[in-house]
Amino acid sequence: MLHWIQYLRGYVAVKVWGYSVERLLNLCGNHDILVWDIEDHGDYHTMRMSIAGFFALKPLLKKTGTRAAVLGKYGLPFFMSKMWRRKLFVAGLVCCILFWCLASRFIWDIRIEGNFALTEDVLMDYLEEKGVHTAMKKSALEIETLEQALREDYDLITWTSVQLKGTTLLIRIKENEMPVYDDREKDAGTQGMDLVAEKEGVVTYIITRSGVPQVACGDSVQKGDVLVSGAVPVYNEDTTVRRYQYVEADADITLSYARNLSLEEEVAYDEKCYTGEEITIPVAGAGEKEVAFRFRGIPYAFYDTSEDKKQVQLLDHLFLPLYYGKRTVREYEIVPKMHTDEEMKNLLQERFRKIISTLNEKGVQITKKNVTIKKNDKKWVLNAHMQLEEPAVKLTPTITEPVDDSEEEDSQND
Amino acid sequence: MESLKLPKDTMLGAAIVTVTGNREAFIENYKGILEYTTESIVLQGKNAKICFEGSSLSIDYYTNEDMKISGKIDALRYI
Repeated sequence: MLHWIQYLRGYVAVKVWGYSVERLLNLCGNHDILVWDIEDHGDYHTMRMSIAGFFALKPLLKKTGTRAAVLGKYGLPFFMSKMWRRKLFVAGLVCCILFWCLASRFIWDIRIEGNFALTEDVLMDYLEEKGVHTAMKKSALEIETLEQALREDYDLITWTSVQLKGTTLLIRIKENEMPVYDDREKDAGTQGMDLVAEKEGVVTYIITRSGVPQVACGDSVQKGDVLVSGAVPVYNEDTTVRRYQYVEADADITLSYARNLSLEEEVAYDEKCYTGEEITIPVAGAGEKEVAFRFRGIPYAFYDTSEDKKQVQLLDHLFLPLYYGKRTVREYEIVPKMHTDEEMKNLLQERFRKIISTLNEKGVQITKKNVTIKKNDKKWVLNAHMQLEEPAVKLTPTITEPVDDSEEEDSQND
Repeated sequence: MESLKLPKDTMLGAAIVTVTGNREAFIENYKGILEYTTESIVLQGKNAKICFEGSSLSIDYYTNEDMKISGKIDALRYI
């Protein structure tokens, strides 16, 4: 506390030497000049005193035959006068503090945690729609409302926590890990669903769980044919249809069909050979505009250009529309070449293998395949005849079959 | 004097010396300072001189009423 008062009022460190320093100290005491931190250094003494005390010291020095020199000035009055000489610095400091205070009233960064199924882009777009974006005022943000809106608008989100940490808006969500059941079955009462062939082929396997099968194993079907009907007839005693009960057809069906494939590969090809010559051009951009710092043309006939640009970033998520980086231009020559027989075979087989693996990924089984390669001087052709099997069915709404209502009413009257 | 129960320092002008361990001394009611070096500090009381002896002695503060001495105090003598 005392130190603070001393600092606020200001004090000086003084070096005193001469005939009788002790007498000077006594006189200081008598004149109510407070001195502290008095140290003996042999030839001279050092002490600290207030500014007013130092001015009152002069006559005492004369009286005691001692001399004094100021070693240092401390405290707020000296600091203020020093600052007054550095007006621009102080102004800058004040501006900096003001900017800091002002800037801390806005949100500069939005982070989302805990989202797996909902991507950050989707949530960011949603927040933008709700008026939550970077550089918005903190006071304009209603945390409770945002939390509630997130839960209400996304069924997948079961828990939300919106938190303001400094200038960062932290949104934590929990997604529902239980599978979401669709309520299609609810509608089945009014409208049924048929299973329809997506491709032309032969039915090789059919097991129906619900609905009425319209085909049997070994039947040929066309694209669009109903395989399992969602309209289950309810018969009268005279085997006429009384009414239809509509269900969602469900069955395991496999269709077999043939597919021909032809792949071609040219023996001659052009190869890009990089000459090793390259030019690096620094680039800078703001928004859509970009400036390349090269004022001469590019002396290559054929060249590739690659750019490596970085965006100016303030925080983890706050990017300014300013870019910098470099553009590399590499020269190449086109050299005509011929594939060897081995290379040709590998190229074709690799392409064919890729097609087969894509089919496998889609759940298509290959039951038979017959592959031939035809060669001539210019190109090789791979022909494949394959027999494929897949559950190529889809659900479509049942077309309601008309039932004679009068008949139904009659039967009810009976 | 005893029966009046008056404080002796004001009546007799006696100096009060409070010593904390051998590191600090607090002195009130003295007349002045006679000698100050790092080895000894001699103060003038009303009736006697008070002499502090030791090493690296320094005066923390000094006013007309009281003062504080710090350092290593070896001896305190009344001359």
